[in-house]
Amino acid sequence: MPTFTSRREFLRRLGLSSAALPFVLNLPSFGFAAEASAARRQRLIVMFSPNGVVPENFWPQGTGSEFVLKESTLPLEPFKNQSLFLHGISDKIRGDGDNHMRGIGCLLTGTELFPGNIQGGSDTPAGWSKGISIDQEIKNFLQANPQTRTRFGSLEFGVMVPDRADTWTRMSYAGPNKPLTPIDDPYQMFAKLYGRAKDEESLRSVLDDLQADFKKVEHVVSSEDRHLLEEHTTFVREMEQDLKANTPQNVGHAVPQLDPGVKEENDNIPRLSKLQTELLVSSFAADFARVATFQFTNSVGEAHMHWLDIKEGHHQLSHEPDTNIEAVEKLTRINQWYCEQLAYLAQRLADTPEPGGGGSLLDNTLIVWANELGKGNTHTMDNIPFVLVGGGLDFAMGRSLKFKKQPHNRLLLSLAHGFGHRIEKFGNPDYCGDGPLDQLT
Amino acid sequence: MLSTSFSSALRADEAPASTGEQIYRDQCARCHGKSGEGVADGYPDPLAGDKSVVELTKLIHETMPDDADGKCPAEDSAKVAAYIFDAFYSPDARLKNKPARIELSRLTVRQHQNAVADLIASFHPPAAWGTERGLHAAYYNSRHFNQDKLKLERTDAEVNFDWGDSSPAPDKLEPKEFSVTWQGSLLAPDTGDYAFVVRTEHAVRLYVNDNAKPMIDAWVLSGDETEHHGELHLLGGRMYPIKLEFSRGKQGVNDKEKDKEKKKEFRPDAKTAISLEWKRPNHTLEVIASRSLSPAESPVVFVAQTRFPPDDRSTGYERATAISKSWDEATTECALETAAYVADHLQQLSGTTADADANEPILRKFYTLFDERAFRRPLTEDEQKFFIQHQFESAPDRLTGVKRCVLLALKSPQFLYREVGEKSDDAYAVAARLSFGLWDSLPDEELAKAAAHHELATREQVAAQLQRMLPDLRTKSKLRDFLLGWLKISQPRDLSKDPQTYPDFTPDAASDLRTSLELSLDELLGSNSGDYRQLLLSDSIWLNGRLAHIYGVDLPADAPFQKVDFEPDHRAGVLSHPYLLASFAYSGASSPIHRGVFLSRNILGRVLRPPAMAVAPLPAEVHANLSTRERVALQTQPEACQGCHGMINPLGFTMENFDAIGRYRERDKDHTIDATGSYLTETGAVEKFKGIKDLAEFVATSDESQTAFVKQLFHHTVKQSIYAYGPNELRQLQQHFAANDFNIQKLLVEIVADSARTNQDSTTKVTKETK
Repeated sequence: MPTFTSRREFLRRLGLSSAALPFVLNLPSFGFAAEASAARRQRLIVMFSPNGVVPENFWPQGTGSEFVLKESTLPLEPFKNQSLFLHGISDKIRGDGDNHMRGIGCLLTGTELFPGNIQGGSDTPAGWSKGISIDQEIKNFLQANPQTRTRFGSLEFGVMVPDRADTWTRMSYAGPNKPLTPIDDPYQMFAKLYGRAKDEESLRSVLDDLQADFKKVEHVVSSEDRHLLEEHTTFVREMEQDLKANTPQNVGHAVPQLDPGVKEENDNIPRLSKLQTELLVSSFAADFARVATFQFTNSVGEAHMHWLDIKEGHHQLSHEPDTNIEAVEKLTRINQWYCEQLAYLAQRLADTPEPGGGGSLLDNTLIVWANELGKGNTHTMDNIPFVLVGGGLDFAMGRSLKFKKQPHNRLLLSLAHGFGHRIEKFGNPDYCGDGPLDQLT
Repeated sequence: MLSTSFSSALRADEAPASTGEQIYRDQCARCHGKSGEGVADGYPDPLAGDKSVVELTKLIHETMPDDADGKCPAEDSAKVAAYIFDAFYSPDARLKNKPARIELSRLTVRQHQNAVADLIASFHPPAAWGTERGLHAAYYNSRHFNQDKLKLERTDAEVNFDWGDSSPAPDKLEPKEFSVTWQGSLLAPDTGDYAFVVRTEHAVRLYVNDNAKPMIDAWVLSGDETEHHGELHLLGGRMYPIKLEFSRGKQGVNDKEKDKEKKKEFRPDAKTAISLEWKRPNHTLEVIASRSLSPAESPVVFVAQTRFPPDDRSTGYERATAISKSWDEATTECALETAAYVADHLQQLSGTTADADANEPILRKFYTLFDERAFRRPLTEDEQKFFIQHQFESAPDRLTGVKRCVLLALKSPQFLYREVGEKSDDAYAVAARLSFGLWDSLPDEELAKAAAHHELATREQVAAQLQRMLPDLRTKSKLRDFLLGWLKISQPRDLSKDPQTYPDFTPDAASDLRTSLELSLDELLGSNSGDYRQLLLSDSIWLNGRLAHIYGVDLPADAPFQKVDFEPDHRAGVLSHPYLLASFAYSGASSPIHRGVFLSRNILGRVLRPPAMAVAPLPAEVHANLSTRERVALQTQPEACQGCHGMINPLGFTMENFDAIGRYRERDKDHTIDATGSYLTETGAVEKFKGIKDLAEFVATSDESQTAFVKQLFHHTVKQSIYAYGPNELRQLQQHFAANDFNIQKLLVEIVADSARTNQDSTTKVTKETK
C-alpha cells in the first residue's frame, strides 16, 4: 500500500477534482484530518504598518533566491532565508471609500466596503467591510476542529491605535459590519491572557488570613448557628485545595513580567511595541491562539517618530512628492523602523523553542507584513508591500518574487490553503478565479 | 405497633367516652406519629397548618381513617381536631413547642449585590433623582458638538422624534448638518437584563452606566443598518448615567467645498428621525418613557456581573440561613470582580496621585473606610493591621496589595454574614438592621455617624432615621419588590393568549398591561400614605390608547398612560386588575383554580399543600355543555381534593366575571356567569361573596387578610421568622397597621424599628417600654 505524505498528494493521486474537495475533506475516515495539526501547530501573524513605502528603497534587487535587500528592509538580513518578498500584488477592490479606507478595510477581507457615512479625503463615503477577514476565517477553521482549537483562537494586538472606531482604524472583521477592536494597551492584553492566573495567586495569598478571620468570629455566634460557619470554612479549605491543584497555572511557560506604567503615548511607541511583541510570543508559546494581528497605529497613521529624529507625522510626510529628498529619506527610515519591529518579532519567535519539540516558534509561524497602500503620495493600491517571514505555511522562503498585478485575494486564498482550509473563493469572487498564488510553495 | 393494637383492643372493651388525646393516640398516631410529626411508612408529612378547628373537624370526619373502613364519628372528629389544634397543629402550638429564634443569616443575593454596589458608590458623589423627568438636550448647528455652535438647550421628555426633512429648530439648525446630545440618568425599575435599541438613519452613540465606552457605537453607518442594539445587566431601583449622541451629516474628513462638487451624500433621502428604546425585564421593546428618565447627572454604578444561585424562597420569602458551594464560589467571583474594579479606578475612588510616597496614608485611609463600610462598624487598630497593613506589606507590589485588601474584606464572614462582627446590642448593629431592613443594603454615612454618636438609642431616634431613609429609591424598590411578590408576579408570567379569541392581546399589549399595574404600585409608593385598602378598593386604572381599545374605554389610539375610572360597578382595586386576571388564566379561558390558589396563598396567607396527585385539567370539549365553574367543581369533587379545593374553588369563582384577558363578561358561552363564592375564615366563620367587589371588601377590612399582609411584609423586610420576635409581635403590628390608616410605609417603619431594636440573643426588645 502506498503511503502519502499529505492529504493533498493523496487526493491528487485519486484524481479528485477540486470541486469534490469540500466533501472529501469532511470525511474523518480519511485519517488525514489531523494532518495539519497533530503533526505540528501552524500559526499566522499579520503585521500592519500604514501609509505605503518608498518602493525603490523597499523592494529587493533581483528575483528568485538571489536578491539584495534595500535600506528599508535591511533589518531582515538575519532572516533573509526565511523571508519571501511578493512584489506585484494589487488590492483591486474598488467601490465606496477612499484608498486609505479600502486599503485597510479590504486588505484582509478582499471585498468592498458598505456604503456609509464616513467621508474620506476623496471618493464617496463608506462604512464597514462587507465580509469576514482572512485571519478570522482561518481562526474559525482552526476553532472548528478540536485538535486545533485554542483558548482564544485569535488575538488582535495593536500599538497606539487611536481610540475611535472607524473604517481607518479597523483591519479584522468577524463578519460583514463586524469590525474587531485591536487591544493596544499591553496591560489590558496581559489581563486578558493572564488575569485569571494573577487572580488565583492573590486569592491564594489571602486564604490563611481568611481562615484566621473565620476563627475569630466563630466564638461570637451561638452554638446553634456555628454549624453554618463550620460548613463555610470547609468551603474555604476546598477552595484552597482547588487552587493548589491549579498550581502552577498551566500556561506552559512563565508568565511574562511587564514593566509597569508604560503610558499609551506617541513617544512610548517603541516600548509598547516591545511589550506587545513579548505578549504575542508568550501567548503563542502557551498555545492561547494560533492566529494574531499586530496593527501599528492605523491607516493614515500619524506616528511622530521622534526617536528617529523625525518631527513630522508619518501620514503628512507620505504625501510629499518624490522630489522632496529629505521626506523620501525619512519615509525610508520610518519603514526601516517598522521592519525592525518585524525582525524583532521574528527573532523572539526564533528564540522560543516550539513546545513539544520541533524547532522554534518561527519555524511554525508565518508573519505577513502588510500595508494599506503601495506608495503614500500616489495612494496606489498596486504593489502592496507584502513581506512574509517564517516557516508556518511551508512556503518556499528565501526568495523575492515578482508578479504582474495579481489580485491580493489570491494571496488570502494561499494563506487559507496553507492551513489546509481549501476554500475556492474569498472576498470578491471576481478576483479569485485563478486560485491561490502560484510559486509560493 | 404492638402497643397501638393493644390499646385499640382495650378501647373496644371499655372506656366508651375518650378524650381527643386518647382517640388520637389510639387511632391516628400509628400513621401520623405521637405528636403529629409523621411516620415514614404511614403519612410522612407533619400535621401542621393553618386550618381552623371547624375545617379540621370536617376534614377528619370526611377523610379519616384513611387505612381502614368506616368514618370517624363527627363527635370524635371534633375532639381530635380540638386536641391536635392546640397540641401541635396550629401556628401558635408550633411556636409554643419550638420557639422560633433569630437565625444566623448571610446576606441574601439582593443584599449582596446592593451592598457591593453601595460600597463602591459610597466613594462617589451622591446623586438625587429629583422631580424633573426627561433628559437634558443640547442642539448644535454642526456635525460635532462644538460649544460655539450650541444653539438650543432644553429638556426632552423622551427621545422619539421624526423631524422629516426639516430640523428640530429650522431657524437655528441646518436640516442636513446638526448634532444633539441627550444626557441625564435612567432609572432601572427591576433587577435583570436590559436591552437597548436606538433607531436612526444617522450617526449615533449610546452610553449607559459607562461614560467612556459606548454601549452602542454607530458613528460609522454602514450598509442598511438603522437599528442598533446593546445589552446590560442592571440592579433595580437605581439611577444610571445615560448619554445619547446624534449627528446628522457625513463624518470623517470635512471638506465642504469638494463636497458640493462631486461627493455623494450617504442616505441623501433619509428622514431625520431617532428613537431611544429599551426592553425591560418582563416587558417588550418600547420607547423609554419620561418617568424612567431624569436630566440630573449621576455617577456610574458598579454592578457586579457575577450571577449568584437564587436564595431559598420555599418559606415564602428570601431566606439566607443556608449556604452552598456554588454560593461560596459566586462570592469569590464577585470579590475578584470588585477587586479588579477598585484596582482600575483606584485614583478616582481613593484620591491617590502619581506620587507614590504620598499615597500610603491615602490608601490606608481609603481601605479603613472601605472595610468599615463593608463590615458596618469601626475597625480596631489590630484589625486595621490585619486587614490592611499586613496585606500591603506582604504583597509583592502595590496593585496586588490593593486587590488583596478587597478580596479579604469581601470574603470575610464579617461582610458576608449579618450580625457576626458587631456586638449585637451596640448602635452599629442597630444601624445595619435599619439599612438592611429598608434598603437591603449597607448603612450610609448618616447612619454610621448616628451610630458613632450613640444617636440610635431611643425609639424616637430610630424613627427619625427611618423617616429620613424612607424617600430613598432603594426603599421604594424594596416595597415594590414586596408588592410584586405579594401579587405573585415577580417571576415572569406567560401571558400569551389564543390569537383567535383575543387578536388584539399582543405581547406588546401584555407588556403595557403590566406597565399599567406597575404604575398603580409606583403611584402608591410615590406617596407617603400608601393605603392598603386603597390598593384593594380603588375605582381607577392606568390605561393607554392600546389598552383602552382592548378594554372598551374611550381614549385616542395614541393616548399615553393616564388614570381613568374603570367599570366601578364590576371592579375593585388591584385584585380586579386585568393583568392579574390574565396571569391566572389559561390562553383561552379563565382558571378559577389558579385564581383561587393565588387568593388563598398570597392574599389570605393560607397554607396549601401541593395536590395529592398530579391532575391534568379537564379539557372543555369533554364536557362541552358545562360552564367553567361546573367543570372545575366536577373535577375537584373527590374527597381527596376537597381538603384544599373546598377553600380554593369558592374563592376563585368570585373572579368568574372576567375572561382570560381580564375583560368583564356576564356570560361564559351559553351560561350566565355565577360569581358567587365563599370563604371559611380561620376562626370558623363563613363569609359569602357575590363577585370580586365583595371579596375585595372582605380582604380590605378583615383582620385575617390584614394580618397576612403584615406577616408577609415582615418576612420580606427582616428575612427572619416573625415568631422569633415574640408571640405578640404579629398582633401588635396588625393593630398598629389598623390604627394608622393602613399606611404601608408606616407599617414598614414600625416593622424595621421593632426588629432593629431586637437582639439575636434575646427575644425581648432592647427597651420595649419606651415605645
